[in-house]
Amino acid sequence: MASLSKKTLTLSAGLLLSTVMWAHHGSAISYDTAHLWTTWATVTEFNYLNPHPSMTFDRTTKDGNVEHWVAELLTNPSILVRAGWTKSRSMEALKPGTRVKLYVGTSRAGGFSGIVMKIENEQGESIVGDRSDVTGVDKDGVPGGMQPSGKQKLPGEEK
Amino acid sequence: MANYSALARITWYAVAAAGLTGVPAVMPAQGPPAAQLMKQGKPEDAFISSDKDTRPYQKRDFNGLWSRNPRQYGLPACPECSDPGPWPRNGYGFNGTPAPRTAEGEKRFQANKPARGIELGSEEAKQRTDLDIGLRRAVLPAFGNDPEGRCEPLGLARLITFSGGGATMEMIHAPSNDRIIQRFEWTWDNREIWIDGRKIPNIDDYLPRYNGYSTAKWEGDTLVVTSAGFDDRQWLDQYGYPISDHAVLEERWDHPSPNRLRVQLTLTDPTYYSQPWKSSLKVWTLIPKEKMSVGGWSGVLEDRCIPSDESLFNTFRDHAAGKK
Repeated sequence: MASLSKKTLTLSAGLLLSTVMWAHHGSAISYDTAHLWTTWATVTEFNYLNPHPSMTFDRTTKDGNVEHWVAELLTNPSILVRAGWTKSRSMEALKPGTRVKLYVGTSRAGGFSGIVMKIENEQGESIVGDRSDVTGVDKDGVPGGMQPSGKQKLPGEEK
Repeated sequence: MANYSALARITWYAVAAAGLTGVPAVMPAQGPPAAQLMKQGKPEDAFISSDKDTRPYQKRDFNGLWSRNPRQYGLPACPECSDPGPWPRNGYGFNGTPAPRTAEGEKRFQANKPARGIELGSEEAKQRTDLDIGLRRAVLPAFGNDPEGRCEPLGLARLITFSGGGATMEMIHAPSNDRIIQRFEWTWDNREIWIDGRKIPNIDDYLPRYNGYSTAKWEGDTLVVTSAGFDDRQWLDQYGYPISDHAVLEERWDHPSPNRLRVQLTLTDPTYYSQPWKSSLKVWTLIPKEKMSVGGWSGVLEDRCIPSDESLFNTFRDHAAGKK
């Protein structure tokens, strides 16, 4: 994805890591990680890049609409590769068209943007990460997944 | 030195035997227990090592791969490697008690908008008045201006204090024994510590640089490093504390047990701070190189911050903030 023009989607991301990595590039503050939810989705793009991998995915709602999401992963390539998720293995596991179950925290600004905390394949195996302890509320097919209840005041946002 | 590189050990012995190191050429037959070594520190030193390794080692040999998150490499946890900052989730900042800022320092501090720390305006930020405001003003990355978010160099203090959850550093004593090379995995950066007797330069005669100019001398088994000549576009740490181009940074490195390396930093920067600022103690664990291996290739990863990658990533960040 070269620009946000293709940003029709969004990503989800995934993953992993040690809690101390949580602060890397200030990931936590952008997303509601206290209310994770799950959904089945189809990968449309995956970027194995610093400072954090990113991905886009589509999810189909119960009424047949397709939502295009963008998301980041919590981990980074150095952590992934040391956990055995090399670039080639990760790219293969998340190649476009792959169906995956995602554990998502929606962006605090709302919309189809989030952070993916865990990814499972159709066999139920955790992939491209090592956060096996993550849980979430099932929102598969629910339009918008789990969205903020209202307009949040975001720290640093222009008034 | 416990399990690092056999080659490094051989090099060390060879150099030491040649009388080039200034340290004994013969390794002690039996080193004292780590706990005892701790007691040999300064009286105010409350550091307690969880290292159980009592094998002999050279206290002036810092060679090796070091991490503050040894569990990532399948090694025992190192509780003292977690920064003893005032805030449990503070990551790795300069910490200690921030020095009062001058008017000029405060202006620069206010201009810096970090994305790490307690969220600005949150209930927690309002309640934790025991913490310096620098730890209670985090904004969304999309609304901040952290130089790291543009892949600008982190600068020396930040390279040292921020090793992330597993980012590694490597210390290499040059065989010529005139300097120590320090390499940092995150951003693939490095610095030289000259121990050839040179003086710290008159900084007005030199081009400021992100990692400054470093000289060092041994005080007992403590390596005392003095650095100056910093490019003031860097932040002192991830919380956006500033550092001026006339700052002097002192690092006191020692090797209190076979598998621990530690440093305490003191920033003296009259331009921005009215008194010196001493950091918290930073502790690393020695990682045997065979433990730090990917596909059989051991050592520090080339973990660069690539501007084009960062730019792509920032589009996601902006999207997450609803920023158009």
